[in-house]
Amino acid sequence: MSTPAMILAQDIHKRFGDLEVLKGIDAEVDEREVVCLIGPSGSGKSTLLRCMNALEKFQKGHITICGHDLTGSKTNVNEVRRDVGMVFQSFNVFPHMLVLDNLMLAPMKVLKVSKAEARERAMALLEKVGLVDKAKVYPTKLSGGQQQRVAIARALAMQPKVMLFDEPTSALDPETVGEVLEVMKALAEEGMTMMVVTHEMGFAREVADRVLFMDNGVVVEQGPPREIFDNPQHDRTRAFLSKIL
Amino acid sequence: MTIDFGAVLPYLPVMLKALGISIEVTVLSFFIGSVLGIFVYLGRRSGLAPLRWLAHGFIEVFRNTPLLVQLYLIYFGLPEVGINLNPFWSTLAGMTLNNAAYTAEIFRAGIESVPNGLVEAAGALGMRFSQTFRFIVLKPAIRNVLPALTNQFIVLFLFSSVGSVISLNELTSALADLNQRTLRTLEIFTIGGILYYLTSAVIAGSSRLAERYLFRW
Ligand SMILES: Nc1ncnc2c1ncn2[C@@H]1O[C@H](COP(=O)(O)OP(=O)(O)O)[C@@H](O)[C@H]1O
Ligand SMILES: [Mg+2]
Repeated sequence: MSTPAMILAQDIHKRFGDLEVLKGIDAEVDEREVVCLIGPSGSGKSTLLRCMNALEKFQKGHITICGHDLTGSKTNVNEVRRDVGMVFQSFNVFPHMLVLDNLMLAPMKVLKVSKAEARERAMALLEKVGLVDKAKVYPTKLSGGQQQRVAIARALAMQPKVMLFDEPTSALDPETVGEVLEVMKALAEEGMTMMVVTHEMGFAREVADRVLFMDNGVVVEQGPPREIFDNPQHDRTRAFLSKIL
Repeated sequence: MTIDFGAVLPYLPVMLKALGISIEVTVLSFFIGSVLGIFVYLGRRSGLAPLRWLAHGFIEVFRNTPLLVQLYLIYFGLPEVGINLNPFWSTLAGMTLNNAAYTAEIFRAGIESVPNGLVEAAGALGMRFSQTFRFIVLKPAIRNVLPALTNQFIVLFLFSSVGSVISLNELTSALADLNQRTLRTLEIFTIGGILYYLTSAVIAGSSRLAERYLFRW
């Protein structure tokens, strides 16, 4: 018996005005699977990820995620987003709230969790990302790597079924990239279902179950990391990898 | 007549009482008007075209006509259609509407200064538009326009002197009154000016304190 996919995208077409950014994307992420999405800048990776939690609308195709169907206009996007955590390249931590409050706000306001429980959850998550001592600090006082770990913990505080990461380490100083990747790796090992846009090929190779290579709005090829990295089938994949590795 | 501040000092309590009314009408109109200003701003970005036009028209009218004219209309004009407001309520109404039009524009600048990434992050956490606005956007937006809001507060306070033309017993009206009684124009208006100045200085100082303690991050 196979369980239905956590994320299933079929023939997604997306355009901004006259610019067609996604040209018929098919993608699938199963439960507990980690899928890395790689490809040149401008190929539509962020747009695809943003379609999956309804931050962008798409013109054609179907997406189901955690049992929600995003196709119908009647879907309640806020209900979808409760189940789908997202981590952005630019962290987007709430600057005017203590780290602890960053983690407590959405569970209290969206899930109506009690303050005591929200605090307990938040402290447990800060422990997990190694930032317990920063609970009562404003995020503006933290390094980029620390802010991104806060952002990950904040998304996890909603107890999502799926996590989407959009280049979570691209805006970081090289010396703080590792600490963020460690947190993501631990999450993957716990069995979190993840879709990760990344340029960290070492991470993709080690953690991903599958790698999708996207170029110019289409998925050019996909497969286990060893196949994609060591034996790419398409010229475009080879050209991209030779530039980035 | 020689200059003698001692001669007008006995009237200080009268002036302070009138200053109290100036402050009262300013504080009330500033806070009610600012809340109204947020709604006017939201009206301007509404998906409903009539709401947008209404909000836009409101801002245009109140920003491009003198407060004095607005006040005359409210106090002397409205009774003709059966609405009678006493001087205090008339001044409060005029200043509130005027302040709403100005703060709507200030809030627009403030809200546009909040990075869109924060709004998206809140949305991605499942927060509704109203929750995102209240918990994520409002505080950083206010901090970013605190100097402009403070300035507006002080201007509004100084404009409360228009209440004197419809015989609201605020500070300017009291000064004119005392001037007629004592004929000590220089002394009376000097002290009055100092009272206005000191109050404005307190407002500016409070704003800096708020910046340091309420909006520190
Ligand atoms: N909001 C938008 N409006 C117009 N064009 C956009 C918008 N967002 C992205 N694009 C365009 O869509 C294309 C794909 O962008 P993106 O999904 O961000 O690519 P990637 O994440 O792979 O670098 C780019 O050409 C980009 O300029
Ligand atoms: Mg991108």
